[in-house]
Amino acid sequence: MEWLFLVVSFVAVLAAGMMLTRQNAVHSALFLIVNFGCVAFLYLMLDAPFLAMVQVTVYTGAIMVLFLFVIMLLGAETTTDTSGRMRWLGFVGTGVAILLLMIFAFPLASNMLTDEPVEQPDAQARIRVINAIPGGEAQTFTVMDMGRAMTLEDTVRGNVLLDPVSEATEDLRLEGMIYDYGREAAQEYVEVAAGDYTFIVGVGAGDFESAPIYSASLALAPESAHSVLFYENAEGMVDVAVLEDDINAPAVGKMRLSLINAVTDKQVSLVDVGQYTTRGTLCDDSACGSLIPHRVLIEQLPVGAHVGLELEAGTYNLAFVDEDQNILRTLADYPAERGLIETRVLVREPGVPGSQHSYRAAVFNAIGAPAFGSPESVGQVLFIEYVLPVMLVGMLLLVALIGVIVLARPDALAQAERRRINRRRRVNRPLVSVISQQTGSNVLSGDYRAKLTGGADDPAGE
Amino acid sequence: MNPIGAEPYIVLSMVLFLMGALGVLMRRNAILLFMSVELMLNSANLALVAFAREWGQVNGHIFVFFVMTVAAAEVAIGLALIVNIFRERQSINIDDLQQMHG
Repeated sequence: MEWLFLVVSFVAVLAAGMMLTRQNAVHSALFLIVNFGCVAFLYLMLDAPFLAMVQVTVYTGAIMVLFLFVIMLLGAETTTDTSGRMRWLGFVGTGVAILLLMIFAFPLASNMLTDEPVEQPDAQARIRVINAIPGGEAQTFTVMDMGRAMTLEDTVRGNVLLDPVSEATEDLRLEGMIYDYGREAAQEYVEVAAGDYTFIVGVGAGDFESAPIYSASLALAPESAHSVLFYENAEGMVDVAVLEDDINAPAVGKMRLSLINAVTDKQVSLVDVGQYTTRGTLCDDSACGSLIPHRVLIEQLPVGAHVGLELEAGTYNLAFVDEDQNILRTLADYPAERGLIETRVLVREPGVPGSQHSYRAAVFNAIGAPAFGSPESVGQVLFIEYVLPVMLVGMLLLVALIGVIVLARPDALAQAERRRINRRRRVNRPLVSVISQQTGSNVLSGDYRAKLTGGADDPAGE
Repeated sequence: MNPIGAEPYIVLSMVLFLMGALGVLMRRNAILLFMSVELMLNSANLALVAFAREWGQVNGHIFVFFVMTVAAAEVAIGLALIVNIFRERQSINIDDLQQMHG
């Protein structure tokens, strides 16, 4: 990485130096394009892929083409510098430049060795609720913030941190949720200020502060994401688990699949069975000769636990199996899209016990923060927080457009030409036209006379 | 993931900025002058992007956008001016442009 930076920056500085010293303006422009390309590469290294593309299209594409066009149009390739009286300024400038480099850059460069971690600014944490209580009577849960443990205990006390969760989200309906007893629901993440929280959880949206079913202190780190999972424990009671989610973008070309086990009294494994399989028992290769060949992706996840894995993009036949290698649920032709972050919660559906349909892998898409510097993140900030500046810059471009039209309109040249001709005519005005004007006699043909008296813009007449 | 901190980028952007400033001071060709200004703007952009990465804030990128927009507008106007000046004086040497010298 370092050698890459060194090579690219060396090329950038070299190109800049060549641009400064070439006598031919076209060569200078071409070297500047090389320099801009290097800067675009550095943007890529700085996690700004979108800016890199904009750099290439706008700078090296549009602006430099404009430069080259103007140079060629004017035929000004070799307009030489005058070795004028301001030549000493160059030497002074060089001296000052080197001095500034010594003062600013070299201390910075020496600091590179003692790299101290930079403290990140205050950020938001995300939290959501996943209700994985199977069936039964409708239950809503409320998560209440009992106050930032440290500072705001009195004022924030009792604020509802998360709204009651009672209905299925869009994703669940798309999943083919036709059972109206399914209560699995997840909220979108809500953003809360990072910090230490004390929260309680109760059944219903009403007054339950006296009898919460769960209460905990939770430190929400900046940029972290948590899921509050409701599930049924072995005693058939509602239990709560607070799980930390990983919402960072998965590695390039992969998707992240997070699995939460909400099936009571079962330890669930996720396996890749390779072929389309609906039911049956997986067999260990060594023990019974490979009934269904498989590859274990996640092993023995206890209830209420949470684990994530990254899958290469592609299509999989996944299956959830219990401790006895019985397939609980399959995900046939599961499309692993690159960059996707998905949470699957395995829940038991009430009714028909024992059959394969009694388990469901409810899907919750994690709405992760878009990757830093990606078009999404830049666009979000640009068109939400900075709408007004964007408008103003658009106005600026419009004004510049009009300005260019005004500057380059064809009669600008004609006016300048006319002024010059007028200046000259004052000196040596042809005598014949003076006579004809003063006497009013028609010594000249009407056509030519009209030209002389009216427009006076045809010097060919003299 | 990226082992390089922001400092090398800042140093590079300083070097490029100073080269651009030198170009503005030393070259008399108006087009080259403009190119040097573009170089300076670009080096400032590089520093902004480096700082944006360092602080994890995307606002630096936004500012780079605005700088690019302003640069595009400036280049369009500036080149139109240069074309007009060249038409009038057959030269874009800035030492020839002294009619406002007083």
